[in-house]
Amino acid sequence: MTTETAPTVALPGGEMLTWSDQRAEGGNRPLAALAARLVPAGAKVLLAGPADPAVLDALGQARVTCLLRGYPDAAAVAGRVDRVVVAGAAGLPYGAEYDVVIAAGGLDTVESVEGTRLGWGGVLARLAAVVRPGGALLLRLDNPLGVHRLVAASGWYVGRDDAEWSVGGVLDDSRPANLEQLRLRLGTAGLRLGDCYAGYPHPEATTALLATEALARQARSGLFDAVLHDACTSGYAGRSVLADPARLAVDALYAGRAADLAPSWLVLAHRPDTGGHQPMTILAATAPTAATATGGPSAVTATTAHGDATAPGDATAPGDGAGRLPVAVLWAGRSGGRIVEVVDGPHGWHWHRSGPVVPRSAPAPYASREIAQLDPAAPHGPVPDGRLLRSLLLDGCLRRDTALLRRLLRGYADWLTGQADHGRLTGAVALAGVDNLVVAGDRFAVLDPTWRADEPLPVDVVLARALWRFATDLLTGGYAHPWTSTLDVAGLTVVLGGVAGRDFDRAVVDAALDIEAAVRRGLHADRAAGPDAEPVTPTDPPPGRHSYQQLRDAWLRQRDENTRLAAALRWTEELLTSRERALRRAEAKLDLLSGTVGYKLARLAITPARMARRGAGAAKRRARAALTRKEGTGE
Amino acid sequence: MHHANHFYGHAHVLARYAGLGDGHPPRINGYVQHGWNIGDGLAPGHPYAEGTPSLLWSEQTRRRAWSVGRRNVTVIGAPFSYLLAMADEPESPQRAGTIWYPFHGWEGQHVEGDHERLIAQIQDTEPGPVTVCLYWHEHRMRRVRRRYENAGFRVICHGYRGHWWTNTDPDFLDRQLTELRQHARVASNRLTSAIFYGIAAGCAPAVYGNPMVLANEDPTFGGTARIRRQWPELHGEQVHLPTAVEIARAELGIDHRYPPAALRELLGWAYLREETT
Repeated sequence: MTTETAPTVALPGGEMLTWSDQRAEGGNRPLAALAARLVPAGAKVLLAGPADPAVLDALGQARVTCLLRGYPDAAAVAGRVDRVVVAGAAGLPYGAEYDVVIAAGGLDTVESVEGTRLGWGGVLARLAAVVRPGGALLLRLDNPLGVHRLVAASGWYVGRDDAEWSVGGVLDDSRPANLEQLRLRLGTAGLRLGDCYAGYPHPEATTALLATEALARQARSGLFDAVLHDACTSGYAGRSVLADPARLAVDALYAGRAADLAPSWLVLAHRPDTGGHQPMTILAATAPTAATATGGPSAVTATTAHGDATAPGDATAPGDGAGRLPVAVLWAGRSGGRIVEVVDGPHGWHWHRSGPVVPRSAPAPYASREIAQLDPAAPHGPVPDGRLLRSLLLDGCLRRDTALLRRLLRGYADWLTGQADHGRLTGAVALAGVDNLVVAGDRFAVLDPTWRADEPLPVDVVLARALWRFATDLLTGGYAHPWTSTLDVAGLTVVLGGVAGRDFDRAVVDAALDIEAAVRRGLHADRAAGPDAEPVTPTDPPPGRHSYQQLRDAWLRQRDENTRLAAALRWTEELLTSRERALRRAEAKLDLLSGTVGYKLARLAITPARMARRGAGAAKRRARAALTRKEGTGE
Repeated sequence: MHHANHFYGHAHVLARYAGLGDGHPPRINGYVQHGWNIGDGLAPGHPYAEGTPSLLWSEQTRRRAWSVGRRNVTVIGAPFSYLLAMADEPESPQRAGTIWYPFHGWEGQHVEGDHERLIAQIQDTEPGPVTVCLYWHEHRMRRVRRRYENAGFRVICHGYRGHWWTNTDPDFLDRQLTELRQHARVASNRLTSAIFYGIAAGCAPAVYGNPMVLANEDPTFGGTARIRRQWPELHGEQVHLPTAVEIARAELGIDHRYPPAALRELLGWAYLREETT
């Protein structure tokens, strides 16, 4: 931030003196990364709504004005930005213009309780008015039909929290409820819709921004599948939901509707340049160039995630895709806390990392083994294409396509074996689960090689660990599968190993669980409490999630198991009765036979032999005892 | 364990494959399909506990079983396929003649048909020496046995399949495999388990002659007429061998065979609480 003038806090009226919009959770680091790409050094930026610290960090070289409604929030950022206006949208000075306006929290958090009520449309009109020709608006819009709404345990209309003095929803005409409506509203405000991103897993805690066009085109992408599954699994941990948001999000992806069901959208809109303004190109990375560092009037050039110019400025996208907006911006919280981008280039998608790697804290004191090591250089290079192995396996289980399962699991096991050195594996392949492996034809690849094992692990243990994790998901998730309900998780792991052509038993699964526990301790060393590899039963709901649907499914599984056990018990009782009856008959027959003359004669005949045998046994015992005593005296 | 799991020594074969030795096999947590079947894999009339796993031979049987209301159905392949995995074929097998299985019912059934006409047809069709394998209770019927012997056939019996855990012949399938591997052809008047076993053991199959219907045969799954409709490729004095091999592979579930550790899990043998000797 420039420090030419002392930071000032303007109070034009409409401020909320005791209100704060700062929240403990979340932040939108992917948005911050995108902002860093969009905003050149020296650009004039308006941050409307709560000032996300990550966004402030990303705009280090820009001239930032914050529009906040709560005075405590203004006081908190006053030293970090050029200017703070504490008011609703109506408090923006007329005549002010900005190169970029960012409403990272949407428009609801811009409006104050004081003064005239503008509504969503009114706030948009006010913000659009301060985007200067050639400039851009980066806006978040929450989706009334997003995954978060579909799985919410409470209705969106029941809010009674302090911030819900007005509940905006799909019934409000002035508020767009989809991207097409948003395009029209922006057009009315004089802006043109450019790039769009789907924000997952939750509007208040976005960890993945995925280009909507790419989502629609790449409905089978292993990368998107893995990202959505991971984001919606970890993003809803501890929340009570109606159904599994990860399942819903991945299903939406496969249906080509992941953008439609995104919890929020982040859009880039432009005010058309009426001429006379110097175009401002999108930066390839966070480092400012010498040209852009000088600042001055500029215009943001819109390029799509595929490099197609959509707004005046004619910035040509470089051949390596460096000037394009990424197709995905991901906050990898578990990977040392860093932003990872996926950029489309002439040779397909490739990884691009931006921002410094946040060093991990020291391992937890109980972490005796550091199995998982963070590779500071990863991920890099091309993003391997193909379907996510986890989804392929689930599909095979649901359709009971055992031929497909055999082909996939044998291919996976052979692929592991092919990379082993003396039967042991190191590197990313030793830790990658089926939710981090993609398959294209017969080719397997690790999607994200960030975590690696330096300690060589036996191939069967690596395989068993991946299969145990999958078996846990399969059973606790209630997925239909081709095997008997009598298998527990470890048993199913052994069976899956058999499908893969491997003959390992529970001892190998136990070894794999030791590795799993060590890996989890390593991965969650910087968290207060990471999930343990606790043993689960097939009638448990998925660990770490609170989904009513999955709880009910688990209850149904328990009921079925009880029914099965009761039927087996009845059958066993009947069989026992039948066998007892047969035994009684046999005993009666023995009694009958033992009273016959033939039996008595035979008994008389063998009595001498039995006595002789008994005497021989006693003599043998006596002799052995005597020998023992003799040896005991030391002779 | 359901007593049908012991038929033909199936449980013994599975226990040997699973590494549990030659002793009395432990209790199986489920019902093992004990013969090739055009129904749900389970024998009609047997008492079954609801929800107890059905351990079936083929994927097709699994789908059919599900469609008629069975649940907890899993394909593990035929016990014979596990025997094949344990007993490698000699490098240069000396095969000659045909092993012929006149269709049999089980003990409570009575076959209706003309043995003499069947014998004549076998003599007209088979080029080499013929071994006739009779079901145990037909083999004990001197009258039936003599008919085949008088025709110049070698008459054998693989053994007694057992009933209610008594008199089970644990070597039944071993004996059958040994015989099959000594013959070039396997034939019967009905498509039965033995034909599929024979194909898997390397014999050329044939199914011809009067199918000899059973008195009071259960028509639930379509009977012999449906078998002929659904598997016409396997009927005739000469059968296209690659097609037969492919079908036998599917019907015996050869590709569904599990390694020993996985089989122990599926049969409930991972934690044994009884002596297995």
